[in-house]
Amino acid sequence: MERSVSKGSYITSSIKYALLEIIAAILVIMWLVPLYAMILGGLKSNLEAASTPILLPPSKPSLDAYAFAWFGYATIPGLEPTLLRYLLVAIPSVLLSVVIGTMTAYFFFVLSEKHGIISNGLFSIMALATFLPIETVTFPLIELETSLNVYNTYIGLIFAMLIFYVPTSALLMSIFLPVVPKYLIESARMDGAGDWTILWRVVFPLIFPGFLSTLIFVFLQIWNEFFIPLILTNTPNMLMLPVAARFYTAAYALIYNRSFAAGVISSLIPLIIFIFLGRYFIRGLAALGGGAKGV
Amino acid sequence: MTTIRVENLSKIFKKGKTEVKAVDNVSITIDSGMAFGVLGPSGHGKTTFLRLIAGLEEPTSGYIYFDNEAVSSPRRVMMSPEKRGIAMVFQNWALYPNMTVFDNIAFPLKLAKVPKDKIENKVKEVSEELGLSDALNRYPKELSGGQMQRTAIARALVKDPKVLLLDEPFSNLDAQIRESARALVRKIQRERKLTTLIVSHDPADIFAIANKAGVIVNGKFAQIGTPTEIYEYPATDLIARLTGEINLIQAKIIENNAIIANLKVPLNNMELKGQSNIVIGLRPDDLTLSDTLLDKYIDMGIVKVKLVSYGAGIFKIVVSPITDENIDIIVDAEEPLETGIETHLLAKPNKVKIFDLNGSNLITSKTQIIK
Repeated sequence: MERSVSKGSYITSSIKYALLEIIAAILVIMWLVPLYAMILGGLKSNLEAASTPILLPPSKPSLDAYAFAWFGYATIPGLEPTLLRYLLVAIPSVLLSVVIGTMTAYFFFVLSEKHGIISNGLFSIMALATFLPIETVTFPLIELETSLNVYNTYIGLIFAMLIFYVPTSALLMSIFLPVVPKYLIESARMDGAGDWTILWRVVFPLIFPGFLSTLIFVFLQIWNEFFIPLILTNTPNMLMLPVAARFYTAAYALIYNRSFAAGVISSLIPLIIFIFLGRYFIRGLAALGGGAKGV
Repeated sequence: MTTIRVENLSKIFKKGKTEVKAVDNVSITIDSGMAFGVLGPSGHGKTTFLRLIAGLEEPTSGYIYFDNEAVSSPRRVMMSPEKRGIAMVFQNWALYPNMTVFDNIAFPLKLAKVPKDKIENKVKEVSEELGLSDALNRYPKELSGGQMQRTAIARALVKDPKVLLLDEPFSNLDAQIRESARALVRKIQRERKLTTLIVSHDPADIFAIANKAGVIVNGKFAQIGTPTEIYEYPATDLIARLTGEINLIQAKIIENNAIIANLKVPLNNMELKGQSNIVIGLRPDDLTLSDTLLDKYIDMGIVKVKLVSYGAGIFKIVVSPITDENIDIIVDAEEPLETGIETHLLAKPNKVKIFDLNGSNLITSKTQIIK
């Protein structure tokens, strides 16, 4: 009797597992199909890309479209310099955002111990910036950057990114912070540590998985940012990848194979990050559920 | 090394509209070099009291003095925790998981900017004293419970504190090593003459370490005295239960005897202020079972053995008066008895505790009672 019960539950759990696997597989395929079509499309000739079904492999694969999108042709800018340029903006932006965001989150965490209402109030106001549509501050932002003499510069772009992504980082890090046990912070305080030391020596190692997750998340956000580089740059030597990639989709008639190739190139970095760092992203999220043992 | 004086100390927590008096108008002096134990049920203000002394909480009202210098005043921590010369061992030890044992112990010294070679000597010295020399390069997660606790103590001692605060330091240890851990803490406290405050719900911790103890009930010290005084002359039935196992049984007074079914305890003309119903308190180790009368014991009457169990080196025998099976009395014994047999229950007459029906001890004139 007992055996059959356990056997029954074994079968149901297997079915459940199989169903979940199938659902996961379907989701993965759904997400991969556009990427597959995009990579294939870039390997086709323009005529073939425009006339054959998108999932059909090319009859004569060629890298012409990729070469065109990467190096450019005559007056049409290639994506290579814009990609490197945008890395120069994105990397400092993401590092500064998340480091400052972590410090901000810790500040409000400590403030909430004694002044809960003030801390929550200020934090809510700041967190609003996360949900602020960038379009609403176009003019003030351009005016501010011009008056600071940083319009159309790397510094200007990074500064604008920080305005929007420090709050995002702080909001995300404030989710990871409460996972650190209070007694560790108190113990460090009694050992004579100041808040700076407590944050970087005691708290930070414990929330490092969360820090990495936030880093990856914010990087992807910045990489997909279109409006900020669009409005804050105005010369070809400051043309950024997100803006340049759009040139291939509309600016010069619609050349299908090249716009596919441009799409692949502009998603290269996020793809690499997700393939190599994806597990850290998951680990950070898992740390939230598991009481965060850290490290 | 430091005398701690507390005056009219209160701490009120507000949860929505309800106020919780965690510490209620406490005044007490803990002399320099004394080990003071705080015993009490959970949620009655023990830990809050300790955290107030540490400076981790600010008082709602009242003052705390370290050697006549005010360190906390109403709504203000005048001297921050790290400046008070205190070291604290937390219930779960609060070791930094990302640092080795060495770095954990060295952490307070590094922060105090002590030169590197001095740090190394100091850590070596303390870790030798606590038997941690072999574990210095390990991380906390690779340690046994006892080693973790000794690391926490080492980290506390390395600062040469004047005051040592212990918050339930043994409750996360296995029973087998708890005894040696207590002995170690006691030895360190006595050798260094550290003013020590130990908070625990386990009377064994207090008895092992403290030379004076207080029982906190509802945020107030219900009784202060030496641990033995509190054990032998508990002011109330609640304190009697907190300080150790005890049988509390209702009895009627008839002709100067307390009567429990067929059992009888002579009261030898004790002044009982006209009570006719009382509660008799009998600790299991003050009772024994025997067919013959033993020296220093009195015979209470015949009982029947109901249940025998074994734990921590002694047998616990549950007996009932033969005329009332609903009354259970626990007796400590070195040897088991068979269930169902009848024998005599003997008690040490000078150890019998007598409470009125409200729980106040009627024979505690010897001890200092703060109510």
